[in-house]
Formats: sequence, structure tokens, C-alpha cells
Amino acid sequence: MLIKRKSQDAARTRLAGLAGGLTSGVMDRRTFLARSGLTAAGAIAVGALTLGSVRRADAIEGPQPGVPVTIKKNICTHCSVGCTVRAEVQNGVWTGQEPAWESPINRGSHCAKGASVREIVHGERRVKYPMKLVGGQWQRMSWDQAISEIGDKMLDIRAKSGADSVYLLGSAKFTNEAAYLFRKFAAFWGTNNVDHQARICHSTTVAGVANTWGYGAQTNSYNDIRNAKTMIIMGGNPAEAHPVSLQHVLTGKEINRANMIVIDPRMTRTAAHATEYVRIRSGTDIPVIWGLMWHIVKNGWEDKDFLAKRVYGMSEALKEVEKWDPKTVEDVTGVPGAQLERVAKLFATEKPSTLIWCMGATQHTVGTANVRAYCTLLLLTGNVGAPGTGANIFRGHTNVQGATDMGLDVTNLPLYYGLVEGAWRHWANVWEVPYDYFVSRFDDVPAKAGRAARTGKQNMEVSGLPSTRWFDATLLPSDQVDQKDNIKAMFVMGHGGNTIPRVPGAVDGLGKLDLLVIVDPHPTNFVSLHNRRDGTYILPACTSFECDGSRTASNRSLQWGEKIVEPIFESGNDYWIIYKFAQKLGFATEMFKNIELVKGKFGDEPSAESLLREINRGGWSTGYTGQSPERLKAHMANQDKFDIVSLRAPKELADIGGDYYGLPWPCWGKPEVRHPGTHILYNTNLRMMDGGGAFRPRFGLERNGETLLAQNSWNLDSPIQDGYPEFTYAVFQRLGWDADLTAEEKATIERIGGANPGNVSWATDISGGIQRVCLAKNVCPFGNGKARAIAWNLPDPVPIHREPIYTPRPDLVAKYPARADERNLRMPNLHTTYQKGAVDKGIAKSFPIILTSGRLVEYEGGGEETRSNKWLAELQQDMFVEVNPGDAAQRGIVDGQWVWVAGPEGGRARVKALVTERVGPGVAWMPFHFGGWYQGVDQRGNYPPGADPIVLGESVNTVTTYGYDPVTGMHEGKATLCQIQAA
Amino acid sequence: MRSSLRSLVAPLAVAMALSLSAPAIAQQQQQQPSSVNPTASSVQERQLLEALRAGTPGTGTTLHGRITIPDTNASNLIQPQGQAWRSVHQGLMHWIAAIAILGMLAVLVLFYLVRGKIRILHGISGIRVLRFSAFERLVHWMVASCFIILGLSGLNVTLGKFLLPQLFGEGVFATFSQWAKYAHNYLAWPFMLGLAFMFLMWVAHNIPGRIDIDWIRRGGGIIGSDHPPARKFNAGQKGIFWAVIIGGGTLSLSGFYLLFPYYAGGVLGGQFWNIVHGVAGVLLIAVIFAHIYIGTIGMEGASEAMTTGEVDLNWAKEHHSLWVEEERVKASIHPQAPQPAE
Amino acid sequence: MARMKFLCDADRCIECNACVTACKNEHDVPWGINRRRVVTINDGKPGERSISMACMHCTDAPCAAVCPVNCFYTTADAVVLHSKELCIGCGYCFYACPFGAPQYPRVGNFGSRGKMDKCTYCSGGPLADNSLAEYAAYGANRLAQGKLPLCAEMCSTKALLAGDSDMIATIYKERVLKRGYGSGAWGWQTAYKETIAT
Repeated sequence: MLIKRKSQDAARTRLAGLAGGLTSGVMDRRTFLARSGLTAAGAIAVGALTLGSVRRADAIEGPQPGVPVTIKKNICTHCSVGCTVRAEVQNGVWTGQEPAWESPINRGSHCAKGASVREIVHGERRVKYPMKLVGGQWQRMSWDQAISEIGDKMLDIRAKSGADSVYLLGSAKFTNEAAYLFRKFAAFWGTNNVDHQARICHSTTVAGVANTWGYGAQTNSYNDIRNAKTMIIMGGNPAEAHPVSLQHVLTGKEINRANMIVIDPRMTRTAAHATEYVRIRSGTDIPVIWGLMWHIVKNGWEDKDFLAKRVYGMSEALKEVEKWDPKTVEDVTGVPGAQLERVAKLFATEKPSTLIWCMGATQHTVGTANVRAYCTLLLLTGNVGAPGTGANIFRGHTNVQGATDMGLDVTNLPLYYGLVEGAWRHWANVWEVPYDYFVSRFDDVPAKAGRAARTGKQNMEVSGLPSTRWFDATLLPSDQVDQKDNIKAMFVMGHGGNTIPRVPGAVDGLGKLDLLVIVDPHPTNFVSLHNRRDGTYILPACTSFECDGSRTASNRSLQWGEKIVEPIFESGNDYWIIYKFAQKLGFATEMFKNIELVKGKFGDEPSAESLLREINRGGWSTGYTGQSPERLKAHMANQDKFDIVSLRAPKELADIGGDYYGLPWPCWGKPEVRHPGTHILYNTNLRMMDGGGAFRPRFGLERNGETLLAQNSWNLDSPIQDGYPEFTYAVFQRLGWDADLTAEEKATIERIGGANPGNVSWATDISGGIQRVCLAKNVCPFGNGKARAIAWNLPDPVPIHREPIYTPRPDLVAKYPARADERNLRMPNLHTTYQKGAVDKGIAKSFPIILTSGRLVEYEGGGEETRSNKWLAELQQDMFVEVNPGDAAQRGIVDGQWVWVAGPEGGRARVKALVTERVGPGVAWMPFHFGGWYQGVDQRGNYPPGADPIVLGESVNTVTTYGYDPVTGMHEGKATLCQIQAA
Repeated sequence: MRSSLRSLVAPLAVAMALSLSAPAIAQQQQQQPSSVNPTASSVQERQLLEALRAGTPGTGTTLHGRITIPDTNASNLIQPQGQAWRSVHQGLMHWIAAIAILGMLAVLVLFYLVRGKIRILHGISGIRVLRFSAFERLVHWMVASCFIILGLSGLNVTLGKFLLPQLFGEGVFATFSQWAKYAHNYLAWPFMLGLAFMFLMWVAHNIPGRIDIDWIRRGGGIIGSDHPPARKFNAGQKGIFWAVIIGGGTLSLSGFYLLFPYYAGGVLGGQFWNIVHGVAGVLLIAVIFAHIYIGTIGMEGASEAMTTGEVDLNWAKEHHSLWVEEERVKASIHPQAPQPAE
Repeated sequence: MARMKFLCDADRCIECNACVTACKNEHDVPWGINRRRVVTINDGKPGERSISMACMHCTDAPCAAVCPVNCFYTTADAVVLHSKELCIGCGYCFYACPFGAPQYPRVGNFGSRGKMDKCTYCSGGPLADNSLAEYAAYGANRLAQGKLPLCAEMCSTKALLAGDSDMIATIYKERVLKRGYGSGAWGWQTAYKETIAT
């Protein structure tokens, strides 16, 4: 038998290409770069690739025997689970990827995206140097020249149209430090028009959840799902969007023999593993939830004790629930009453139960209301604040939670400090820049269309314009846009252009911009869609893997990622890029006064560590104060010490003893206080220093004579055995606790309080004294309140069902109409005009198929990055639409054939049909990661040569339609109509 | 599951494949049932495999699913027929080859011993008659030489490993086999071309007729010493012709599918055409052995027809009396042909 | 020595394709060659199951039996490997393989498929362990470094198990016992003429 064969002639059979590189000796960084990048040829058609021989010349460098290996750890960028990526680096080249067994989050696992991230830093298809369009041609340029030209244009636009005319679109791929820096950049530039992907994924979650119980984030963790006895996954397909989370979900399902209920319009890969699958009509989440609650209340399955102690306003919500008897629910949602009753019983009685959701819940015109309905169900059944319970909100990018926390949002400053004067003053204190400086940076807004004029100070307290409306703000008459002038420039860092509905509008908007700047590792769809000839720049940003810094996973755990290799090609990291622009625009000295600059690839750049320390100095409201770089690095070095279920390290360990993994926020007080972080929010069964807490009373102390503070509920061993409000210096003084503050802390409080030190609170006391004493006394700094089932400050205080704008059931519109036309977030929001128009035109007849959208496991977001990764691109080579076999047969469509999908607003897309029973009759589903084709036309030529993604396809958003959530401006991505025809 | 409906090759018709629809597939969901428990209703490998067991090589079904990559073969999860193909290829195929080829050799040796060389009864006349033109001979030898290499390389790919590596070593054998494979793949084309020419040149002379029945009944001059009349081709030669055309055609068609597997209908198609190719190959080799025998040591005066192209008049009269007549008639009309040789 | 096998627990597999790209990453497998793939049976229907499939390293491997040039060999760990030096790209192993494991760099033109490529159980080929030449022709040799195949190591839900037959069978048995269901050790009966009694 042949075991090992000695060969004198190995080279003869060695496969072409790579061998040449490998035999030429040890690969160093220079040869790697010389070979890999700049010489790469332009577009290679996918068809040609399929015939390619084994190992092409541009093969990725493999391991080099005998060369020392350095291990670097970073975090996968492709969803919010927070999988540790363990990289093997040889001679500065990333040559291997090993499983990170030690991570308590992924335990070595990855999904298709995580297992292929090494390719991103090989970067065959990356943007390699700064470029601009000159007369329609891409022209290489230097960084200095690019920054200078762009800066001049920005200043020019600022002078003519105002600071608000430059839209700053940031990224969920940013580290916390970069996100924070970009938000700070916007403050110094003088605009609240700064946003990122959270707008289009979970902005409604953040708004809905925060308005229910205090903070807008996942209450528990992926790992904690192992404790659940019943789980409902509604409007989410984590098997594709968050595959590694399924490790915890399925393990929990197995060891507890837990009920796993999937409620979705589509029989997803997740649903395949459910114990119960409930198919609903897209856009009817509220009736489904109210239907569940109807059964719960009718059978007395609600948690009466929990409601009495910790919930306000449930009776008002139940008045709405009463309307949703099983017959009505079945008519509206399609779910039979018996099935809903069974699910309701499981959820309410086989506890702990958790509710998991994603963008199926959030991307609706009623997104915020959906989320609040979900929360209300959790409250009704007492499923918040304990292991195995909670709102497990799966977010979409590495750091979309962190970027949200850092205030890359049109309604906040960093760490959810609102746009009010007190919040601005807080950050002015932290930044040690006079408050008046910021006032001077904002535009005065003239009176327009009957709206009063605004001063700069007023303007800085007005929410900005959501990213979903940027092109409307470019195209609409100026008086429709509630700021000084229209949007004239888009400055986009790490954000796709195809992820927002109404792509035809975006195409027009792009044509009208004076300046378009794309800062990204890959040219995004902002590049391919436009018809511009000048005034367009692409700057190569490096990926997250080439950048130090912390990332906040969905469960609020912060993880420190190390720079694996130096940024490849001429790419620069976000810190440096933002710093250079701040320099050019003239505010770097002020902006970076407390930030350490270190030697970077292109010279001085801000250090991630010092940025995090500044965040720690200001992040009191959200407990971003205890996560010092040192503590986070200690966690990464000791990942294997944390328990996989409780996420806690044994108390006896040095550095990390007793900590929860990643110090999930809130991690109160200064790092030296050694708060362990909060694994499970609002958990009253623990002491504060073990991660305990309560619902946050942030909506007042009482309403209609009823208290909003908790009753007969407090965190374990609390000295105050009742509800209580947040702690301020005044409260401290009344309790006599001010005696526990040090002289230094008192001095700081007096200083920042000025005339009114009593108002200085746990959230604005930058000395940290108030929080320190609260923890010492074992009380919750923000108070102990009730969650609320009615959010009186929001539209629809109790969520009510509203038919989607483009509904397949126009007969229900009269009963469940969209909201009246209104203005939200600087823009008109014409719900009724559009819905009424659709009903009048009989759209439901001519476009009879419900169109919904979602993720594929191989791609992420707009998909340019993942579609450029050859290992991923091979797995999904064509954009497609899922069609039910019945609908397909009716239209003479067979599996794999080209079809046209047409939307009611005129957009149409040429895609392949995937005939499957995943979707029910009358429903179609499309993934949203494709771009590069527009209405049947291949736009590969619009990309800079060599930087075009391998796979291109139509964007689903060419077909999707109008509709925006009134609270956050979230688009309607999940419920519209379409027609499908053979192409 | 994918069903490959393909008629069976006769020797392998062990059992007709069932066109299966596995139980799990059958449930066509009409309306949303009020209870859907995907975990409880999951497909079981055992059931699916049981449903597959009836498959015979080259036919039947595979355990088939959906896959995102474009390679349709990849969507077959399990195809147990591969093992059936293996047992045919490694077992039955060897027997068929052995019986056909060795059996034919044995028959020929036996025949030679019994019958001996068939002589020209009236001796050599010295008058030569042109039987095959240069072009006909060229075509014949092109096909023949290709066939020899194709046959040997074909046998090598199935049987070579039992003998040659032991003689020459694995490395040499692999290199030889590689070249043999190239030869097989590329010589197939001149073979097919020649086959087409043969067909066009000779089909008119090879239409079976009543005379052939007589020829066969009288033993064709091979058994016994009777010489029944025949035209240009007697029934025996017609048999060779049609064996070559049908066998060669089968080899060409099946070989084409093996060369271009994407047209073959997936892996099951590949298995089917491979078996067809193998069986047709060894059968044709056996037939060609007989052809070679009778054209060389089996019969005096026969080989010249394909070497010089000219045969002795007495040979022609004995074996192709009617053809000689026809030629004579033609010659009287066109006196320049045939020219007696000097 | 251990008897190495793969086992895909279809009740855990979610078709995330991590195994596929992990394989591509570890061995830099080129476009068009799919040493591992995930197939979904009964797609979109209740009862749908996805199974990750590659070379199963069969007992009495059909590929080895039909190979005209005997290029296959079985290692002491029962891993079925082949020599690309000997392979003539005839395609017979593809006909015989019950799992569609053999892959060819080129398909369709004159049968010149090129040298067959397939899953090596991350254990290289007949060239020197962890040499550049071995990497170029067969990919990384993790087994020689004491590591298991990366596809299984990186499996998102720990559905794909690799390792000694007895150990992975025990893990699977315990899982089925604990959770109360199991759709079977896919491919085991076909590859190993045995299955896992649960």
C-alpha cells in the first residue's frame, strides 16, 4: 500500500501559479504586495473563473514553513455576534486563520463570512489608492491632494449652503473609537446630519426598547439564550444573518428541550430547526402580538406579580389587545387561532421565555410600534430581567451597537445624551472645549414654508435628517427640507448605497450632488449607481482588521481587536482619515486636544486607546466608563476563563475576576471601581456589583396620579427597598450621601454644576463620584422605575396596527389606515398620500405579490465587500427572487430562469427565479446584498478598474417603495408589493 | 431527488429503476396547516436511502437537494449508484471483457485448428482486380489504426492496472496511462471521421438482401467448401460493417458524453454512458479480432484487398462472384476498368 | 491509530457554509473546486435539512477501487488520499464516489479535466508534510500538526464533527439522547457500511 511517496519530480505536477511564488523563497510583505495587488487585472467575468485552473496566479499567500507565526486577535466584521478571529501573521502577511476556541462567544466557530475574512485583507478587489472622477474617468491622486480638494469643496459648500448641507454618513464597521470620533467630527463641523447603518436596521428597536424600559439594546446575550425554555424568533433569520448565534440557540433548544418558535412570512433556514413555525403576512406583527396577548389575558397566563411591581400602563395596552380576537387576527395575519393560542401558552407558561427579533420587525413604517408591541408581550409575561428571558435583539454589524452607542445618529450625542443644552454642555466639559464654540458652528435656519426660523443654538438641538431620506433632501424643493439648504454633499465612510429603498431616487439624488466622497475599502454602490462625471472621490479606508480598537457586540460586550496587519495598499485607518480632515477643516487642535497621537502608517494618527479613555471619561449615562483599554485587553488575553453560559470569570482571578466577558455596558464607574459589567439588563436578582439593575425611570416620576417608580421591587439587598428616581447631587445631599464623596469629586461637581450643582447627576458627574457611591451603597445610579406599556411621547402611544402603505389588502385600509401625512426629522412623511394613492390606483391588483427582503449567509449589507471576496462570491453568483411554485406556475416561470420583478413605483429588476416553498403563495422574497446592475443594465464599467466586485446583481431596493417610520425615519424594507414576469 | 430516466443497457437490466418520490417530498403543502413542527417532521436519511435502493448503475435516483453553486452535480448529496457502478466496472465489466475477447480468441484458434487457412480453390490466376481504391484503403487504415490504439488504451484504463504497474512501476504506468488517455481522447476524432466516411462509402454495398440469407444458409464458404454468390460484400462482411458502424457509433456517442460530461445528464448519465462505452468497446474488439483473423491468416488472398487494393481474380470469383460479374459488365461499358495487372 | 471520520449532524446544520469557506481559506482552493459543499434536502418545506458533504474517506473506498492508475492510498488514520502525480484525470472516481467528492479543475473540454482534487481531511498528500510543494498541490496538512480539519473546527453550530470514529459517534449519540431526535448520521451507511444506533 502506498503511504508516502518520495518525489524527485514534484514540480512537474505542482499546480500552476502559486508554486512559482512559493518556490521563490520566503514571502515578505513587499513581495506580497507587489504580487497581489496593483498588478491585478480588471474584471474577470465569473464565467471565465469557473473554468479557471487550480491555483491561479493571484492565489492568496499560504503558510510559510519555518517563518515565525504571530497570533493576532480581532473581531469578525460581518454581524454583531462578535466572533473572535484568530489570525496567524508571518512577516507582516496574514497567512492563516485558526479557530479561536478560547472565545466564549464563538468557541472557534464562524459562518461562511467569518471563515473567509482573511481574503478581505488580501484585497484583490480593494480600492488601492485615492481616486477622483475627471470627466467621467477615474484618476489616481495622492491623499494630500484628495484631502485638500475635498476639504476646499466642503468649506465652499458650508459657506454657500451651510454646514447641514454636508451629510456625514458613518459606519457600523467603525470601531467604537472611530464612531465616536466621527460623531465628534460632526459636532465640530456643526451638524446633526450624521448617521450610520443603525438607521436602516435597528433604529426602531433602539427607539422602541429605550422608550419601554430605558436602554435601546439587547437585554440579555446570545449565550444566555442557552437558559431559555421557550424562544420566539420573530422577523429574523439568524441561521443566515447570525449563524454562530444558532450555536447557542440550538444548544439551548437541545439541552432544555426548549420550544423554538419561528414567526415569519418565510420558512427560513432558522424555521427549519423550529419546533413550531408560524407563517404570517408581512407587516402584521402588531396583530400577531396582540393576538398572542389576547390568548394570554383570556387564560390568565400573564405574570400579575411582575406587572404590579415593574410595569406601568399595561391596562391601556390591553384595551387595544381586546380588539384582536382570534377571528380578526386570522383575517388580518393569516395565522389560525389555535396555533396562536398554543404559542401564547408556551411563551407565557413555559418560562423563562425570550423574544428574538431582527429586521423583520424593525424595517417597517410601524417599526417602532412593532418593537414596543414585542416589549409589551415580554412585560405581560414577566420575561425581562432574568436569565433565559429578555429582548434578544440581534444586530447586524460588528459594531452597529457600539456605533449607535457612540451617537452616530441624528438624534443623539455620544452615549445617548440627547441634543439638549445640558447634553451639549456635558460633552463640552468632557472635551474641554467651550460650549459656545459648538453654538457658533451650527447654521442659522431661515423661516421656510410657514416654519419659524432657528438660531444656531436651536438648530443644534434639532434632530438631523435620517440617512434614508438623503436623496429626498437633495431633490425636494428647498422649503420642504427643514434646514438652511438642501443636501449638497455626501461624505460617506463605510456605508453602502443600495441598502435604502427607492434606488431610482438615489440615482437622481447622486446626479444632483455637488460633492460625493466615498471612504471605503471597496467602492460601494454609491459609485456604481451614479451618472456623475466630476466631483466624486474614492478614498481607500482600511478594513476593521487593519485597525486597533474596541467593538461592541449585540450583547453590549466590548471586545478589543488588534490590528492584524498594517493597512494594505495605500489605505489608511479611520482615525487618521478623520484626523486629516479635521486638520484640513481647521478644528483638529480643539478636537484632538486630549487625544494622544501616535506614529502611524502615514505619520501621526490618534491612538485607539486614548480615544477609548476619552469615551470612558464621558460615557456615564450608558456605563461606558469602566471599560478601559487595559481591562478590555485583559479580557481578550483571558477569553478562555469566562463561563459560556453566565459569561462570568471566576472571582478569584486577577485582572478579570468576577467580570462578565467584555464588560457589557453599563459598566458603571471608573475602571478602578471594577464594576463587572451587566450581562443581563434590569436584573433585580443581583447586587449592583454583580451586574444587577432595574428599569430606568426616564419618563418622569408619575403620570395621571400613578407612580412610574417600581413598587415592591428592587435589586438584591438594596438599601432603598422601593422604587426611587435617578441620583443627583441634590438627592445625595438630601440622603446625606454627599459625605461619601471625596473633596475632589465634590469640587468637580461644583465646577460643572456652576450655579446649580444640585442638578449634576449620575450621568453628568464627570468625576464619577455619584456612581462610585451608588455602587458602594448598592443602588442603581439611574433609579428604580417601571417599564411602560404606553409611550405617551411617541406617535401611537399604544401600538396600533396600520396596514403597509402598499398593502395586498386594500379592504383593510379603511379600518387600519397609515398615519396622516406629517413632518418628521426635517422631512415630509406622506404616509396617507402614498397609501391612498396605491389604493385608488388599484396597485394591489396589478402588483399582487407581497415583496419582502432579507439576508443571505454569504453576504452582508450592501454586499460590496463580501461580493468582492472570491470565496464567498462563488457561493452566490446571481441575484434572485424566491417565488412560490404556485405563483411561478401561473406565470410560466421555472426555477433558475430570468424574470423581471417590477415594483409599484416604477422600479424593476432583472433577476433569477428561485422557485421554492420557502415563501407562501402570493409572497416573494429577495436578498438585499446585490448591486451593480440597475434595471437590467450591468454597470460594471462604473467601478474603478480592478475594484469591481466579482458578483454584481440588481438591488432589491430598485423595486422597494416609499414608507418611513415616524419616529426614526426607518424605511419600509419588508412589506411592499410587486409583480413578477418571465424575462 | 433527481430522477434520471434512461433506458437500460440490455446486459445490465438487473432491475428496472423505480422513479421514486421519497415520502418526505410527497407532502405538497397546500394551505398553511395549523401545526407545523419542522423538527418533528425532519427528513430522515434512512428513509431516503431505502427509497433509493432499487437504483441500478446508470439509472435511478440520487439523494438530491438544493445548492447555491452553479455546478448541478454538486446538488447530489448521496448517489449510492456509484457503488453499483463500481461493482459493474470492477466486476461484470472484467468478465464481459474476458469472455468477449478471450472467448473470441479461443473460437478463432479452434476454428483455425479445425478449418485451417481457407485457400483459393482454383489457385492464383495472376489476374489482379482492383477491389478497394486508395481512398477506401486510407479510410480503412485510419479507422483501423485509431481503433487499435483506442482499444488498447481503453483496455488499459480498465484492466491495465492488473499487470502493467507490476512490470514497469507505478510512475511509468501512470505516465503511460496519461498519454494513453490523451491518445484515446484525441484519436477518437479521426476514428469518428473515418467511421463516417466508411458509412458513406460502403453503406450502399451493405444493404442486407435475400442473397445474404442464401449465403448464410450455405455457410458462406467458411464452413464447408461451398462458395455461395456474393456482391462486393458478402453477408459476413456486411455483418462486420454493421458491427463497426453500430458499435463504433455507440462508442462515438457514449464517448462524446464521456468527453463532455455536462451533456451527459449528470453523474448517473456518466455512469450509464461509461458502461455502454465499455461493453460496446470490448464487443467490437472481439468482432474486430474475427475480422482481422479472416482478413489475414484465416484466408488466403484476402489481406491484399486492403494492402495493394487488388485481389486475385480467382479469389474474387470464389468469394464475390456477382461483384466480379458486375465489374465485368462495367468494364465492357467502360473498357478502361478494371485493368488486368501485368 | 485513530479511524478518522466526518459526521454531519443535520439537526444542527444551518447551511451557513462556514465549512465551505474555511476549506477555501485553509487550502486556497480555487474558484470552481468545491472540496466541501452543503446540500439542502426538502428545501423550504417543513422537514428541510441541510447536510455538509465532502469526501467521507470511505472504508473500502470506491474511488480507489475504480482508479485505473491506483493513485489512491489510505493513511494510517484511515484518511483516503491520492497522488496528483499519478492521477490521469479520467473521472472514474467521480462516477464511483457516492458523495460527489472528486473535483476537477476543468470540466467539459475533451475530457482533460486536469488532476483530480478532493478533500484531504486537511492532511495533505504524498509529498513531504507541510512542505511548500505539498501545500501547493494538496493544501495545508493540519493533521500532521495535530489539528483536525478546519471545516469541522469552524462549524458555526458544531454540526460538522471530525475526529476519531468512536469519539464523534459518542458525541452524536449523546446529543440525540439528550434532545430526543436525530435525522441520522448522513452518509455513514454508504461510506462505512455502518451507522450510529441511537
